[in-house]
Amino acid sequence: MTELLRGIVGMGDWRVWAMFGVGLALIWLAVKKEYEPNLLLPMGFGCLLANIPFSSAVGGGFLDVLFKGGITNELFPILIFVGVGAMIDFGPLLQDPEMLFFGAAAQFGIFFTMMLALLVGRIPGVAGIPGLREAAAIGIIGAADGPTSIYVATRFAPGLLAPITVAAYSYMSLVPIIQPPVIRALTTREERMIHMENPGHEVSRTVKVIFPIAVTLIAGIIAPMSVALIGSLMFGNLLRESGVTERLSKTAQNELTSLVTILLGITIGSSMGGKQFLNPTTLLIIAMGLIAFVFDTAGGVLFAKLINLFRKRKINPMIGACGISAFPMSARVIQKMAQQEDGGNFIIMHAVGANVAGQIASIIAGGLILALVR
Amino acid sequence: MDLVVAEGLRISGLSYLLIFVVLGIFYGLIKLLLRMFPPKDDSE
Repeated sequence: MTELLRGIVGMGDWRVWAMFGVGLALIWLAVKKEYEPNLLLPMGFGCLLANIPFSSAVGGGFLDVLFKGGITNELFPILIFVGVGAMIDFGPLLQDPEMLFFGAAAQFGIFFTMMLALLVGRIPGVAGIPGLREAAAIGIIGAADGPTSIYVATRFAPGLLAPITVAAYSYMSLVPIIQPPVIRALTTREERMIHMENPGHEVSRTVKVIFPIAVTLIAGIIAPMSVALIGSLMFGNLLRESGVTERLSKTAQNELTSLVTILLGITIGSSMGGKQFLNPTTLLIIAMGLIAFVFDTAGGVLFAKLINLFRKRKINPMIGACGISAFPMSARVIQKMAQQEDGGNFIIMHAVGANVAGQIASIIAGGLILALVR
Repeated sequence: MDLVVAEGLRISGLSYLLIFVVLGIFYGLIKLLLRMFPPKDDSE
């Protein structure tokens, strides 16, 4: 009888109700608003499972087993990268390699937020961001790349993993809401109407096959800490581009990604226990995630405007905003904005090029942070 | 300045710069690959 009643007695804790609210809100965002449903829905349900008093899913249950077997050892984010790599077509970037620099510029939010977190953590009374490692883990939300955020947070601030993941995926889904006002504030209508020439011919298959191999070797030699991330992404891409492993490529894109996304989502959700999640640090992280995305966008747009000072053929500065890793959402948002200003303006190929450059740049950023922060 | 903040500033600046350097190398790599294997390679 006591066994049956302890669940009901456990409901007396206000944090249980609050976390039920958070879990249901995530499920609502997924179902009703379709914000990153593949991840937010499993996360929301995992949150419910973890917060039911005396839940058998946690405390040694299957979700703990998944956490140890897939998150603590970074396996899930790595496997997701194999799938992401198999989905990405680097063609638009290879046709227009200048777009790489927009990917670099739009990582600005990571470092701005990292410094902000560090400074906020120095304010007396603000707990939860004691040092550089935690600040770096928060800053990496600005990578706009879920698996990289999880990977870095697992290493640097496992206690902050849940709010960092929630912030990263939530803001990725909110890119269509976050980016346009920032872009409009930093550009004129004339700038947003700039047309850009088509990038040119389709690149050869040989280039597409050599590219992932060469990038893995170069990035790995420069920043060995990035090998797991960039290597898995490029392995997936090689499966796609080799042309001889279509079955493996399709499996990586579909079955592997779907399976790992289910496990990743529900496991991250299970780390959202009321005691760990409901504190001022979580709110701080959610706020800083937004700042990271805003400054990523600003960094990319301002970099494009800076380049335009020296160029004859101007770049539409909105392209700079696509340098974040949220693929292909950001490219779609920018194309839509371009067409709102001028119905005949097609900059989607450049936007996609900058967007996939952002994928590479965010992983490099994660690798560098892992290598440099002690 | 707080030593941790100074270290953070150094790492942030260096990392941001290094991202440009690494992607600059990739830029050179792509340019080289495009020169070595021009689009006509597709017909093979």
